[in-house]
Amino acid sequence: MRYPLKVALKSLWLERWINLLSILSIGVGLFILGFVGFILYNVEGLTKGAPERLTITVFLKDEIPRTDIQRVIDSVKKRAFVKSVRFISKEEALEELKEALRESAYLVEGIDENPLFASLVIRLKGDGLNKKDLDAFLASLRKEKIVDEVIFGEEVMNKLLGVITNVKIGVVVVGLLFCVAIVFICYSTVKMLFYRRKEEVEIYKLLGATKGFIRSPFLFEGLLLGLGGGIIASIGNLLVSKFLEELSNPTLPFMRYVVMPEEIVILLPLIGMTLGVVGSAIALGKIRY
Amino acid sequence: MIRFEGVTKVYDTITALRHVTFTIEKGEFVYITGPSGAGKSTLLKLIYLAERPDSGNISIAGWDYKSLKEKAVPYLRRNVGVVFQDFKLLPNKTVYDNIAITLRIRGFKEREIKERVYEALKMVNLRHKADAYPPTLSGGEQQRATIARAIVGEPTILIADEPTGNLDADNAAGIMRIFRNIHSKGTTVVFATHNRELFRNTGMRVLRLDSGNLVADEIG
Repeated sequence: MRYPLKVALKSLWLERWINLLSILSIGVGLFILGFVGFILYNVEGLTKGAPERLTITVFLKDEIPRTDIQRVIDSVKKRAFVKSVRFISKEEALEELKEALRESAYLVEGIDENPLFASLVIRLKGDGLNKKDLDAFLASLRKEKIVDEVIFGEEVMNKLLGVITNVKIGVVVVGLLFCVAIVFICYSTVKMLFYRRKEEVEIYKLLGATKGFIRSPFLFEGLLLGLGGGIIASIGNLLVSKFLEELSNPTLPFMRYVVMPEEIVILLPLIGMTLGVVGSAIALGKIRY
Repeated sequence: MIRFEGVTKVYDTITALRHVTFTIEKGEFVYITGPSGAGKSTLLKLIYLAERPDSGNISIAGWDYKSLKEKAVPYLRRNVGVVFQDFKLLPNKTVYDNIAITLRIRGFKEREIKERVYEALKMVNLRHKADAYPPTLSGGEQQRATIARAIVGEPTILIADEPTGNLDADNAAGIMRIFRNIHSKGTTVVFATHNRELFRNTGMRVLRLDSGNLVADEIG
């Protein structure tokens, strides 16, 4: 292990300008990859609680036996994305209305018959909620015989879920493109280094070197290029994070919610090393004797 | 130790070797001779599998070419020390490192490598040039460095392709002494040369090639 690493380090030093350029290019690629990951992380974070703020109000028909209501409540509770279900009787609804009107409560004084409906207030969880399941759930509620009307901010919710899905797709596509770009940078750098040392490799083959012995310094080079790029990207992302933290002042209160995941500092060099080794392995191809 | 059975090697339209058959026993010193283009280098390249035969079979140190898997080639080559005609020394590595690489390839520890490399350098009288770079050496010194690299791994077979070709008489005599010394330790030596003076009256076996044909198997 020590000898191939020594050869790799020596080769990186001998071709230092080309390698530095490759490390910087990989660094930029990984920085963007990290930044894209940072966007995804924060979009997830910011939108995670959104469904919880929305509730489904299910108005029930009059004169429904309590057992039927309980059956619906039980079936709703079984859904994984339902946080809570609260039953509000006609009487409770009227009390709540009076409470809400407070000083204008006289408006409802003198009404003989309670005009309000009993209802179920369903709160949702942010996790594991998708549009398909939500639509199916709303449709099943509307089919219930005891249900008069279902009110839910579907449009807002659908738009929100759509935005989240699009952001995720965008992030994955951009991430993959940058991964391919980084692999290509490592591929071309190692390919060039390999050609420069072709004569040396040929002599090694004649002296009885195994494919592993020939490959290992180049794989180490790819790994070190990726590691170098990853460290640069981590530093870049930490600086961006610091900059955003400084922006988190009262003039931009929403910035307080923007977070740079700490794992990125380790993750980017790891991704860099993996992509570096992959690029090098492709560059070396099949070694023939 | 080395067996060629009806070996033919063709480059495009030129037949370098034609149905060549011979056997070299363990511990023999065999000269391969013939004019330029006779097929001497091709024959040697077939021994360390730098070239593959188009027909026939080759057996080297117990390895049979026909049943040899590609991943076994490096291990076969470790049994064969080669002194190349063009030296094949790495110009950016010291003489020490050029020789040490043979042992690094085999996974030797640096301490043992050091011992063995200096021993090989002593054998070719080049210990004082261990830290020199090949381009700073004379032709004879480069040739001796190549021999040291070929023998450091203690191969069972030592192959030399015109090792005295570019040397003056004194240097050539020195190189021949080294080969005889290596042979005296039991190594099988295959020595290609077009210089008849090197094997005349030596009592060693001589394989004579002409236009790819083995035309004589005689005693020099």
